[in-house]
Amino acid sequence: MVDVGLVVANLVYGLLIGIIYGIATVGLNMIFGVLKIVNVGHGAFIMVGAYVTLLLFTLAGVTPPLTIVASMAVGIGLGLLFYYLVIKYLVDAPELATLLATFAIGVLLQEIVKAFMGADSRGFTWNLGNIEIAGVSVALSKVIAAVLSIALLGFLYLVIYRTKLGLAIRAVVQDKEGAMVVGVDVDKIYAISFALGIMVTVASGSILAMYLQSGIHPYMGEIYTLKGFVIAVMAGLGSIPGAFIAGILFGLFENLSYVALQSIEGVQPLVLTRSIAFLLLLIILLVKPSGLFQR
Amino acid sequence: MAGKNLYLGVGILIIIILLAGVFMMQGGEEQATQTGETTQAGQTQEQTQQETKTQTQTEAQAGGEVETLVIGAPLSLSGKYAKEGEMSLMGALAAVKWINDNGGITVNGKKYMLEFKYYDDESNPDRVTSIVERLITQDGVKFLLAPYSSGLTAKAAPVAERYGALMLSHGGASDKIFQQGYDYLVQILTPASRYFTSVLDMVKAIDPQAKTVAIVYKENEFSRTVAEGAKAYAEKLGFEVVYFQSYPADAQDLTPVLQPLKDLQPDIIIGGGHFADGQLLARQINELGIKAKLVGILVAPALPDFYKNLGEAAEGIVYPSQWEPGVTFSPETTPQGYEWYGPTVEEFIKYFKEVAKERGKGDIMPSYHAADAAAAILFLAKAIEQANSLNPDDVRQAMNDLALFTFYGKLKIDPETGLQIGHDMIVGQWQNGKKVIVWPKEAAQAEPLYPKP
Repeated sequence: MVDVGLVVANLVYGLLIGIIYGIATVGLNMIFGVLKIVNVGHGAFIMVGAYVTLLLFTLAGVTPPLTIVASMAVGIGLGLLFYYLVIKYLVDAPELATLLATFAIGVLLQEIVKAFMGADSRGFTWNLGNIEIAGVSVALSKVIAAVLSIALLGFLYLVIYRTKLGLAIRAVVQDKEGAMVVGVDVDKIYAISFALGIMVTVASGSILAMYLQSGIHPYMGEIYTLKGFVIAVMAGLGSIPGAFIAGILFGLFENLSYVALQSIEGVQPLVLTRSIAFLLLLIILLVKPSGLFQR
Repeated sequence: MAGKNLYLGVGILIIIILLAGVFMMQGGEEQATQTGETTQAGQTQEQTQQETKTQTQTEAQAGGEVETLVIGAPLSLSGKYAKEGEMSLMGALAAVKWINDNGGITVNGKKYMLEFKYYDDESNPDRVTSIVERLITQDGVKFLLAPYSSGLTAKAAPVAERYGALMLSHGGASDKIFQQGYDYLVQILTPASRYFTSVLDMVKAIDPQAKTVAIVYKENEFSRTVAEGAKAYAEKLGFEVVYFQSYPADAQDLTPVLQPLKDLQPDIIIGGGHFADGQLLARQINELGIKAKLVGILVAPALPDFYKNLGEAAEGIVYPSQWEPGVTFSPETTPQGYEWYGPTVEEFIKYFKEVAKERGKGDIMPSYHAADAAAAILFLAKAIEQANSLNPDDVRQAMNDLALFTFYGKLKIDPETGLQIGHDMIVGQWQNGKKVIVWPKEAAQAEPLYPKP
């Protein structure tokens, strides 16, 4: 019989990790939405953010929530750098070219970090004690990570829907030529959008590091590239709030399918949970190929 | 519009699959870098050959009657096992040196000095087989140390078997290799299936009240063998295994697996797999506020970074280890039915440091890999003396009756399979930010901290 307490606990943890998945996917989806580029190196930027937090916290004692600011700066820097070095020339190139280029950027980042930091899996301890949510004891650091994710999403939302810059971005998404005609510098908007997307992604790496506090190594991002694609496709490529909601759904689904599988005798549920998540992706693609939140 | 999205979706799916493939093939990538190092490895080999030559020459000049007995080995001096391979080499050389300094070994009234002949296998399975073949057919070696790791040992074993050369496994903890019916393969280190027996023995001895055990392990062959062995042994000791679950190798969050333990409240939690996941396991047990009297984790806690990364959460965590430099095994603590042989722990460390200095590695302490290899040399040397013969069949026979106590602890093999049954894992624990040995009593530096704070 399925234990109710266990279901509640997995709901709470599923929701929390789902929020993290959500924010970790938003950047991917934003870049696709504006530039129509699939950033295959996505996970590597998450990894960079995790290292920013790890280093600032362990070497300089900066409290992890503040490291997000540093990560955002690093993200904007990396975003602009790679945009003007690489992406600029590939915006209208065939999809394969951008896929390979972003893949290469990802590998490059991984190897650079590995060269400086080594391949060891690192971690840190930032323990604020536990609080109770619906009777489930949760580390406060995890709750803060989730709250910061929502704040970051809110910030991005404000930029896109409440500023002139955001208006220009939305104009480019709707009609590139039209925007150009009314005097929008499309190249600049592309650069800013790419940088914003990378900024959110790197910052989400900091949030992830805060959430997990372990397993920080140069290749840690790969699994988030995979999950990010699943979530993005689930949401419909390009949709920012959609990506966030799909992330939450994905987290809930992962954890609840775990509970369901656990009630089956002789099954090792966590090993299967991941394949189930991809099965879900296949089903969504078959039933609603444009994604859940795409009109 | 929908049609375009479909193509895109399918395209993305293909990319995901490709990515997953790349992810899985990490191992293959590593091999590619290894081949790049071939030239360097070749140089090491030449050096090695020169080294061994000069060694033999000096020995030949020194004594008239003294003969040389060559022990061979493929060892990983480059590639992914380079660190462990180098440690094994230095451990083996330290043991050889100790034996030679203490009069070598005597067979049929004739004195033999040992010589250790090794080639770099580049952590490459194909190199292993050809090196073992070369050692046996060209160098005429009849006694071998296996390469490092279970995987490479599994490659070397059939070759040694074919030529009837006796091989001692010092870096292959897998039980599976010893279920293949090899007659010439003998294990020195504790097999995976017995990794947690010492921990369970310890609990049984200090807290007869402890009843329930939860086992949470990484889904791979080694960890599964450990977990299944631990389960069987726990049940044999009268514990009740209330939870037995695995998690995938790349798990980032173990909360769902650990959640039920809050209600089950087991007395003992054991498990883990490797470094990253072991760390995660320790952290999340602590984070979820799961209280157990003992938490024992594989591999990860044995490394110094464990405490650095986890801090307080590492306190009281227990781990099994093949050997630690702090063990206090000595001739005086030799158990009944066992015979002391070889250097003391201090002597071994001294010899090891000399070898390390000669090889330009600076002032370093031996790891358990070094101790494993040294123990293999000692066990082999004693067996040859006992057999009073240089025929591998006789030596293998003699090993069946051998019960040695060394700086490494007990050594005794199962006559049928060659599996190690004498050597017990020692139990270490993090106490006040330091690793201390708490079990077995003969080797302990401190009392176990029990129950875990």
